[in-house]
Amino acid sequence: MYNIFDNMIMGFQVATSWENLLFCFIGVLIGTLIGVLPGIGPTTGIAILIPVTFGMSATTAIITMAGVYYGAMYGGSTTSILINLPGESASVVTMLDGYQMAKKGRPGPALGMAALSSFIAGTFSIIMLTLLAPPLAGYAVSFGPPEYFCLTFMGLTLVSALGGDNPLKAYISSVLGLLISCIGIDAISGVSRFTYDNMNLLDGVGFIGMAIGLFAVAEILENMEAPIKQVFSDAKLGFLSLFPNKQDWKDSFGAIWRGSFLGFFIGILPGSGATLCSFIAYAVEKKLSKHPEKFGTGVIEGVAAPEGANNAAAGGGMVPLLTLGIPSGGATAVMLGALMIHGLRPGPMLFTTNPEFVWGLIASMYIGNVLLVILNMPLIGIWVQLLKVPYKVLMPLILTIAATGIFATDNNIFDMWIMFFFGVVGYLMRKLGFPEAPMVLALVLGRMVEMSLRQSLTISHGSLSIFFTRPISGVIMTVALISLFSPLFPILWRKYKGRRSVA
Amino acid sequence: MKKADMITGVVLLALSGFAIQETWRMPASATFGPGPAFLPFWLAVILAIFATILFVSAWRRPATEEDHHSIFPGKTALIAITLVMVGLGLYIFLIEVVGYLADTFLFIVFLMKAVEREKWPLTLMVAVCTTALLFITFQFLLKITLPSNMFGF
Repeated sequence: MYNIFDNMIMGFQVATSWENLLFCFIGVLIGTLIGVLPGIGPTTGIAILIPVTFGMSATTAIITMAGVYYGAMYGGSTTSILINLPGESASVVTMLDGYQMAKKGRPGPALGMAALSSFIAGTFSIIMLTLLAPPLAGYAVSFGPPEYFCLTFMGLTLVSALGGDNPLKAYISSVLGLLISCIGIDAISGVSRFTYDNMNLLDGVGFIGMAIGLFAVAEILENMEAPIKQVFSDAKLGFLSLFPNKQDWKDSFGAIWRGSFLGFFIGILPGSGATLCSFIAYAVEKKLSKHPEKFGTGVIEGVAAPEGANNAAAGGGMVPLLTLGIPSGGATAVMLGALMIHGLRPGPMLFTTNPEFVWGLIASMYIGNVLLVILNMPLIGIWVQLLKVPYKVLMPLILTIAATGIFATDNNIFDMWIMFFFGVVGYLMRKLGFPEAPMVLALVLGRMVEMSLRQSLTISHGSLSIFFTRPISGVIMTVALISLFSPLFPILWRKYKGRRSVA
Repeated sequence: MKKADMITGVVLLALSGFAIQETWRMPASATFGPGPAFLPFWLAVILAIFATILFVSAWRRPATEEDHHSIFPGKTALIAITLVMVGLGLYIFLIEVVGYLADTFLFIVFLMKAVEREKWPLTLMVAVCTTALLFITFQFLLKITLPSNMFGF
């Protein structure tokens, strides 16, 4: 306990340096902006920011990117509530009751509750992160190659099994990502694979180019199909009208805490992501409610629960990222890639080798959450005005920032072509129903998967039993295999029932 | 989606076949443990299995109402998307010839005029402001040497 206290003081010393404070502020500001604007999500925002943060220290860079991530969770609710258009996917459920509340003339309390619930849940999840991460990292230090292979394997199967409506396509997406990660010089034998004498490919396919192509460019192309309609809200939002009344607090109290718990603990699981957490929190609230029939007509719990959950999930997602080096979804995968570019290897050793980095980041998240409440409560009117910026103006801006940023990281035009290529691939994937998050995750984890797999098999002289006989890796592997085959269970169950009913 | 899934399945099968054939040219095993061809080979095999499942399940599934719609958007949207990508391709291709400033300016004008069909005043305003913003941010604040043309800008 003493140790955590000590570390937190050090963390706050790092986070309150003027540079980190400034970029924490810029991060949450950009995050809120990205959350408010439909048509650009947090993953895209972080991917575009990587090149810009390249010149900063690793700590400042990650503080900025994390700020964008949880900042977007705050901003997303604004448009959901006011104009029934989600700013990003984690705020889709907030529309159900939030917009109804606004229609009934209570947009203020809905927005206020969204921000305050986000703050409570966000702070809760950072406290949990502070308490849980160090022991988990301490435990993970003893992990060897078999454990790491099982963990990365589990990350990939969970992302694929949980991350969409078609698990098969998600699996294909991760296998393709792993294959792409094989391009370049093999780190163990020095043999170059799939490079075709192209100098630029020796180092592998550039992660930034791929991520920006798959997320930013593909998103732009998708938005070209149907012009984003501009809807304005004429709601008058005085500062005082934002505060929920006593009854609102009484109704929402339980919802906020349940949302926080669910969001944090489900958010830890690889592949869950903030969107899933917000859906689950809403469903649980509806089930537990004394008046479930009122959900969807503008009850405040329906705003408090999902908004709390998606913020708690943003904190939960940092746990596996920092302690194990395994991201929980698309946005954290992009952050992991960024950390690697900064020369950090996220994982349990990070807590001993770079404590100022880890604790600085965690402390900055406390500060960021306070900044976000300040940004979102009194300044909400400004964010609403921003919706008047047409997408026509944003589109060229996003595209040129992305392209320039990619060039800036390596002074290499080839990376821009990678962005171009994966922009087309990403668009086709979206159209064909293949999720892109597993592919990006697979590319980020690819090297670790291959190294740990081959090292394990070298230790065991080629026997796969090494993944099952060691206790930790055995448990993780079992979870991974269950999640791998989980899409088959409903099919088998239906067959079984069909046969019984025939007999 | 049915037809699209079947085509995707075939394309992925071809891709995995290509990858398998490529791995034959790599040394199969190292002195200690599995060699460089190990992972790509098995990944390609797994890909082939998944692609076959995708193809067969799409093939056996009865076509629904939804399957008769094309997965791609209408003609106008497709033209817009193609224009964006052609513009982006040209932008990347020309950046070292024309130089960053002029290339970015022209690219934004192209996007606003040819794709979005905006009026000239707004087009020029957005193009000038965006180019200036990016140039100042990257060249001066982040101190990155952006590509320039033979005249030095």
